[in-house]
Amino acid sequence: MRRLLQTAAASVWLAVAVHPAAAETFVWPLPAWMPPPVVPGDNAMTAAKVDLGRHLFYDARLSADGTVACVSCHVQERAFTDGRPTSVGIDGTTGHLNAPSLANAAYLPVLTWANPHMTTLEFQALVPLFGEAPVEMGGAGREVEIFARLAADPYYATAFAAAFPERPQPDLFTVTRALAAFQRSIVSVASPYDRFKYGGQSDALSEAAQRGEQLFFDHRLECYHCHSGIHFTNNLKTIRTSTGGGEAGYHNTGLHDPYPDAAPGLIEITGREADAGRFRTPSLRNVALTAPYMHDGSIPDLRGVLEHYARGGRAGSHPQKDGMIVGFEVSPREVDDLIAFLESLKDETLIHNPALADPWPEDHPARARRVMP
Amino acid sequence: MKLHLVAALAVLSSTPALADMRVSIPFAAEIGGKAFSCSETYAGLGSTGAEVKAVDFRLFVSNAALVRKDGTLQPITLDQDGQWQTGSTALIDFEDASGGCTNGTKALNTTLRGIVPAGEYQGLSFTVGVPFEINHGDPTLAPAPLNTTAMFWNWQGGYKFVRIDMVPTDRKEDGPKGWFLHLGSTQCDAASKTESPKACKNGNRIDVQLDSFRPDGSTVVIDPAPVVAGADLRVNAPETSPGCMAFPKDPDCMTVMTKLGLPYMDVAAGPQALVSLR
Ligand SMILES: [Cu+2]
Repeated sequence: MRRLLQTAAASVWLAVAVHPAAAETFVWPLPAWMPPPVVPGDNAMTAAKVDLGRHLFYDARLSADGTVACVSCHVQERAFTDGRPTSVGIDGTTGHLNAPSLANAAYLPVLTWANPHMTTLEFQALVPLFGEAPVEMGGAGREVEIFARLAADPYYATAFAAAFPERPQPDLFTVTRALAAFQRSIVSVASPYDRFKYGGQSDALSEAAQRGEQLFFDHRLECYHCHSGIHFTNNLKTIRTSTGGGEAGYHNTGLHDPYPDAAPGLIEITGREADAGRFRTPSLRNVALTAPYMHDGSIPDLRGVLEHYARGGRAGSHPQKDGMIVGFEVSPREVDDLIAFLESLKDETLIHNPALADPWPEDHPARARRVMP
Repeated sequence: MKLHLVAALAVLSSTPALADMRVSIPFAAEIGGKAFSCSETYAGLGSTGAEVKAVDFRLFVSNAALVRKDGTLQPITLDQDGQWQTGSTALIDFEDASGGCTNGTKALNTTLRGIVPAGEYQGLSFTVGVPFEINHGDPTLAPAPLNTTAMFWNWQGGYKFVRIDMVPTDRKEDGPKGWFLHLGSTQCDAASKTESPKACKNGNRIDVQLDSFRPDGSTVVIDPAPVVAGADLRVNAPETSPGCMAFPKDPDCMTVMTKLGLPYMDVAAGPQALVSLR
């Protein structure tokens, strides 16, 4: 009898572990000064969906050959980037763009480096999953096989039902919704700078970082014109954003002249000459963790980036170069100060948050063949 | 009263109306005049006479119409079969996932099926492509066949209209993965950076007009060989997608798009050479 009771208790515990508060609404751990992100009407945030999305995010069985998962290009320790200049998909296929950080992607009105059509994380997920130019996860034409593979896993057998009671199986809708929900849960607003700026902790920043902050927001350097606002990017959408679609900023930073055809900027999609070399401003949160830099990973460190802007762009005068990029003079000490400031945007809680970490055991088929950067 | 009765009868019988005629238009896939198969090789293709295996062969057609004797168009109302045809759009699928067609599906769809009012018709017209109005929707919510991931083209907005993938059999170890003919709309601009596209600079839909089509015996033949006749299928311009994927500035497309009946860069559209009649 006692044994029976124990078994019953164990199975109850297991059930709870598998369904973390199934229908419970997900609540972001946000400070009062940070408004929550916007959530699409057909993808309400629930704890069950976020947890399912986390398992999918770390599961290499989503790729054609079981070697590439989302995490293969978006690693938590690197603020969900991969440390490579450009990303690598199945069969060693290299792309042309640097994997952007996923921290606070929920607040972006438009995703990826230069594609105005990527307005939701749900839609964007289709590109790595099924894209062919370049191939990333190689799923095009393989969705039946991939979804069947997932459905056969005991975790997913219950997790899809918990997250999508009306549609309890892996398919295009549920997989993209769950992946988006998990990514939307990746927020990062607990850096030393946040404690200094919003938390009233005047000692949270070093003297050097405080001097760097003044330089960053100074007219001489103009950094803040594009890296503006709460996430240090002029791309922002929250539930309080007055303009419905949010604000989207793209700039030609004089990195190349001409920009190579493989990564020509927004012009690739719009066909407008004015959009040549224009890429979306990335957030600078956690920037100390996301080297190498720029849309093509062509600058290895922050010093190199500052040098690039100090020179007013390394490619002379591209006709579409942003008017803000005129160059400036900085002393070596000022550069040190600026870097101290940029380093103060690093959020240790992001990279150590267990709710964002790999949920699969080491020998699990989800990660057995998974390639990591 | 009598008149009313007649009207009511007409309404009642309108579903399988006697005046309707079923059409089932056969499509055939060939490469250089030889029937397409996932395990066949095809010789003498392109400007250098390459030998290739073909590993995919699918296309979307839409807005099909028969041509009446007076030259006007009678749209075909497609059967809504929940698998291949939705609205006025159909996926024609010649690959059966065998042989080299590793990204394919077992099922085939080689006819366009629907109804037209009974009558005499002497021609066929259709568009190769997905209509703009449904090309830019959310494919995770779209009905079949618009949920076929192999035809997704989301990074450009929309679907691949044509997917004919060829792999040279004698390519170098470090040569291109294949010579893929992918056609879809490009440069789809939006009013703002956060809206779905309003229009595409290059719609890249092929309007096909087959005047000698007869509903009781003609077959529509799709053959990429004349389209790629001027291209070297053994090489690929560096830093571009393998083959021609319709993106601007791809040297591999220079001789190709014009033979799809489409303008490309500074090359004017020629007559389309992809679709013919037998
Ligand atoms: Cu393609």
